[in-house]
Amino acid sequence: MRRMTGPTGVGIGWRPEIAGFVAELPGLRFVEVVAESVPAAGPLPVGLAALRERGVTVVPHGVRLSLGGAEPVDPARVAQLAAVARLVDAPLVSEHIAFVRAGGLEAGHLLPLPRTREAVDAVCANVDRAQAQLPVPLALEPIAALFDWPDDELDEAAFLTEILERTGALLLLDVANVYANARNRGTDPLALLDRLPLDRVAYAHVAGGAEHGGFYHDTHTDPVPAEVLDLLGELCARHRPPALLLERDGHYPPAATLRAELDALAAASGFPVVT
Amino acid sequence: MSVLAAPGDTWGIPGPTFLRFYLAAAVLVAVLGAIHRARVLAGSRQPGYDQLSPEQAAYLNGGAALAVHATLGALRGTGSVGVGRDRRLVTTGPMPAGATPLAQAVHNAAGRRTRVADLRRDQWVASALTQLGGDLEQRGLALSPAGRESARRGAMGLLILLAVGVFRLFAGLSGDKPVGYLLLSLAGIFVAFLILVRAPYRTRAGRAALRTLRQRHVHLAPASSPAYATYGAAGAAMGVALFGTAALWAMDPGFAEQAEIQRQALGNSGGTGGCGGGSSSGCGGGSSCGGGGCGGGGCGG
Repeated sequence: MRRMTGPTGVGIGWRPEIAGFVAELPGLRFVEVVAESVPAAGPLPVGLAALRERGVTVVPHGVRLSLGGAEPVDPARVAQLAAVARLVDAPLVSEHIAFVRAGGLEAGHLLPLPRTREAVDAVCANVDRAQAQLPVPLALEPIAALFDWPDDELDEAAFLTEILERTGALLLLDVANVYANARNRGTDPLALLDRLPLDRVAYAHVAGGAEHGGFYHDTHTDPVPAEVLDLLGELCARHRPPALLLERDGHYPPAATLRAELDALAAASGFPVVT
Repeated sequence: MSVLAAPGDTWGIPGPTFLRFYLAAAVLVAVLGAIHRARVLAGSRQPGYDQLSPEQAAYLNGGAALAVHATLGALRGTGSVGVGRDRRLVTTGPMPAGATPLAQAVHNAAGRRTRVADLRRDQWVASALTQLGGDLEQRGLALSPAGRESARRGAMGLLILLAVGVFRLFAGLSGDKPVGYLLLSLAGIFVAFLILVRAPYRTRAGRAALRTLRQRHVHLAPASSPAYATYGAAGAAMGVALFGTAALWAMDPGFAEQAEIQRQALGNSGGTGGCGGGSSSGCGGGSSCGGGGCGGGGCGG
C-alpha cells in the first residue's frame, strides 16, 4: 500500500450509516473515521477498506483520549489510536482539547477546560505523552462550549496558540465551533481567526447546527448554516487549510442534500467538487 | 468364477448376477443424473448476471412475499404509501416517476385499501410477480418448475431402480433367499436418491448473484444502521431485498408494525465491524465530538 499524503480537498466523516453514500463520491480523496469505532486489531470495516484501496486518505479522529484531563492520558487509549493510525496508514491523527473523564467518572461528552496556565500545562503534558507514543503527527481540535469557566486567565486564541507552540502539534480548526463560540458569547469570530496560527491548520471541520433557546448548538445533525459557510470563506481567504471535512453524525438527509453540502464546501473554499 | 442359474433363483436370475447388473445400472443412473443435475442447477452467468433490480433481488432471495415487501420499502421511501388505522394500505402520494410494474400494481392496490397480506392475491400484483419470477428463470438465476423437474431426472431413474429392488427384495424374502447385499444396495441407492432429488429454487448463478449483491450493498445491512433517508427509495428496497424485512422494520417500524409485516432477517450482516452497530445516537449538545457510535463504554480502551 502506498503511503498516504496528508488530507487534501473536501472530505466527509465516514460513518457506517452512510458508508454506501461515501463510497460513491467519485472525487473523494479524504475521510475521517472515529478512531474508537475501528477495532485496533482489525479488520477494517469493509467500506473503509475499500476507500483505502482507492488511495483515499483516512484520518482517525479520537474522541475518548481526554487530553485535557488532570490525570495522565491512558497509554492503552493512545495505543489504540496509534494502532488504528497504522491500520489505515494515516498521515496524522486528531483529538480534542477537552476532557471526557475525571476522577474515574466518564462524562460521556467532551467537556471544555478552564483556560488557565495550569490547564495549559496539563494539556501540554498529555499531548507530549501521546505524541511520544503515536507514529504520526497529532492535530488538536478545540471544542465548542456554551460557557466559559469563571477562572479563565487566557483568551481562546492565546490558550490555543500556547498549546500548539509548546507541543508542536497541528491544529484541527472547527469552523462551526468558532462560529458557535463567537455567536453564543457575542464576540467576533473573525477576530479569533486573525489571531490563530492558521498555517498550523492540518484540516478544518465544518458541521451543521441549530439554535435552541437563544444558543447556537453545534449538533452535527442539522444543515450547515450559511453563516458557517461564510466564515469558512473568510478562513480560506486568510489562509486556506489543506483540507476541509464535513461532519455529520445523525439525522442523515437524502443523498442529494448531503452532496449539496459537500458542493457548498467546495464552492466556499475553491477546492474541486468531490460529488 | 461363474454362477450358474439354479431352479430356486428368484426370477430365474442368481443373486450375484442380479446385484452386479443392478448396481451397475444404479451407478450409471446416479452418475449421469448427478452430471445432468449439476448442469441444470448451475444456471447461467451471462454478462451482468449479478446486476439485479431490488425487486429481482428480492424475488430471488425470498420469493414473491419479499418482492412485495421490497416494493413497499421503495414506496415508503418516496412517501407514496402509508397504512391506515384499519391496517389497510393507503396512498399518501402520487405514483413515483419511473415506478416498476410491481410498484405501480402495489400503489394501485394501496389505493384500493388492500392489506399487505392480501397484496399477492391482487390480480395486477400477481401478474407483475409472475413476470418478475419468469424473468429470473429466463436469466438462469432461478429454476422454473420444468427446470426443477429436469434436475430431478436422475433421482426419478433411481426411484424406478429402487422399486425394482424392493420388489426383488420381497420376492427373495418369500423364497427364503439371502437378501443382505440387496438390502445394503437399496440403502445406498436411497441415499443417492435423497441427494439427487433436491432441486433448489435458486441456481448456483442465482446464489452467486445474491452473494455479490450482498457484498456490494453491505452498507444496507441493518447492522450498519443504514441512513435510509440518504440511500433513498432504491436503497431502502435493496436493503429489504438482501437483508429481509428486518430492514423494513429498521427503517420504518411504525409502518411495519401497523401493516403487520413479519420481521425476518436474511443474509449475513456482512462483517461491517466497528462498534457503531446498534446505536445511532448522536453526540450531545454543545460538544463537538465526532460520531456517537461508541457511547456507553462499549469500545475503545
